[in-house]
Parts: sequence; structure tokens; C-alpha cells
Amino acid sequence: MKKIISSGFISGIILFVLSYGGLFISIRFFPQLYTDYNNPLFNADGSRDIFFYLHAFVFSFALSWFWSRFKGMFKGSFIIRGLEFGMVYALVALLPVMWITFSSLDITLNIVLSWFMYGFIQAIIAGIVFAKVNA
Amino acid sequence: MVGFNQPPKKAYYTKWVITKGGSISVVGSTNVNKFSCAIADYYKPDTLTFYQQNSSTAFQITGSLALDVQHFDCHNPPMTANLRKALKAKEFPYLTITFISLNRYPANLSNTETLKGLVTIALAGVSKRYEINYRITPNGKKALTLEGTRQVNFSDFNIVPPRKIGGMIQTDNALQVKFNLNVKVLDYQPSL
Repeated sequence: MKKIISSGFISGIILFVLSYGGLFISIRFFPQLYTDYNNPLFNADGSRDIFFYLHAFVFSFALSWFWSRFKGMFKGSFIIRGLEFGMVYALVALLPVMWITFSSLDITLNIVLSWFMYGFIQAIIAGIVFAKVNA
Repeated sequence: MVGFNQPPKKAYYTKWVITKGGSISVVGSTNVNKFSCAIADYYKPDTLTFYQQNSSTAFQITGSLALDVQHFDCHNPPMTANLRKALKAKEFPYLTITFISLNRYPANLSNTETLKGLVTIALAGVSKRYEINYRITPNGKKALTLEGTRQVNFSDFNIVPPRKIGGMIQTDNALQVKFNLNVKVLDYQPSL
């Protein structure tokens, strides 16, 4: 349990910095990619910002628990294990969720694909962290 | 005594009848794009009536424009829906521009002139008075195009500018409001 929490916390901090830092830089240098977010589907009053910024930790703790249960199934170097872990997450969780999201919400394919890639990369980074911290 | 308490009946100086072909636009920006939303072909048969107490005072005006916020079109459906939501269109469906005064009447209706005047803009349940810049351009016989521009702020109307994905995408507080009205001049009395 201690390992789950500590590796989840470390992954959360790393993902927080990389995800939101990357998003900030990306918006600054490629603003045209974000014009689709001017859509009433997205919360506009700031009342849920705290939930948005906690996502990196919610994601990391959930995946940390998942890793601790199934880490024996991922073989190879820590990078290969992290990569495979990210692919499993993308296939099992991200793909179906993105599928239903695109089919039911009025958002563009670009947004859904970017979310898929964002989650996939986050899961790979988290997997690499778990493979290092909680081998 | 009863007559003494009643407001003086003012003789109007002239009337401008709003005719077809007007438009109203709001232009704003976010940190990722600019947006321009308009009500094209605005036409409601409103009349602006001009009064003047004496030759040294500004012209008072009665008349207003009531714009249906739901008619704003940003040429991008999500952006249009976003603006309507930001302006609280469901709760407050109209943006109203009430004309109050004009610093002077155009000296010659056959030349383009720049004037200033006061209006009240009511939006999202809040009314705010602004000085506005007008450009008046002749547009045919006894017809004019009245163009008014003014920068307003979302915050003037107690509206928080929309912010998305944790505030990483932010709408600027300033909005440029511009209206173009075609008017027909009635009962012009230059000798007053």
C-alpha cells in the first residue's frame, strides 16, 4: 500500500509538471490547435479548475494501484515495461472512452485524437516511473 | 397645479427611422484566437427622435435598439454557442442600446461627420452608460448610415470572461461593440 501511494505521488508530481507545463507551452506556441476549446461543452467559469489540476494525481494513483496488481505481467527493461503499460492502458481504457466521447459529444476528431495521445503519453510516463520506483 | 407638475412637452427637432440593412457586431479575443460575432441585417422599425432644449446644449435622443443575443452569429457554431452562453442569453435575451444624446447635430447631412454621444448599454441584467464615437455618412437622399463604436468590458456587466481548461485558455475582458444602422431622416428642421 505504501508503495502504491509513494509511486502514485511521485508519478503525480512528474505528470503534473510535464502535462500542464507541456499544455501551457503548447498553447503559447501553437494557439491555433486550441481554438476548438471555445465551446460551451467546456466549463468556462473556473469553478472546476481544482479538479482539472488534480487530474494528474487521480490518474497516477489509479494507475499505481493497477500497476501493483499486474506488474508481474510486464517484462523487460523499465522503458519497455512502461511502454507496454501505456499501450495496455490506451487499449483497455482510453480507446473505448474516446470512442464514446467522440460519438456522443459535439467535439472534433482532432480534440479526441489529441486527448488519446495525451493520455497515452501520460500512461507511458507513469509506467516508466512505476517500473523504476515499484519494480 | 396639476399642469405645473407635468413634464414640459418638447417639440422634436428631427426623427431618424431605422431602415433595413443594419448590422451589429462584437469583436473580442482569447489567448488562442480572435472572434467576431454579428447580427447581420438588423431591422426593427425603431425611430430615434432628437430634441434640443436650446442651441447651446447637446441633442437629447429617445429611441433604442433591442438586439436578440440569440441572433449573434460567430460563423463557427461552438463559438456562437460560447458567446451566447457567456452573455447569459437564456436569462437575459436582449442586448439593449438606448440612445441618450448627441453632442451636436450633423451640420450638413451630405458630408461624412464624426460625432460623440451618450448611450446606455444593457446586457446580462446590468446597464452601463458610455460615451460613443459615431460616424455619420450620407447614404442617399435624406438617408444616412450611422456607425457607432465603443469598447466595453465583460466585467462592466458583471460577466466573468470565459476561461477554459483550467484557465489556460482565457478570453480577454475587452469587447469591441460596433453597430451600423441605416436611417431615413424625417422632419428635418435645420432652422431651429
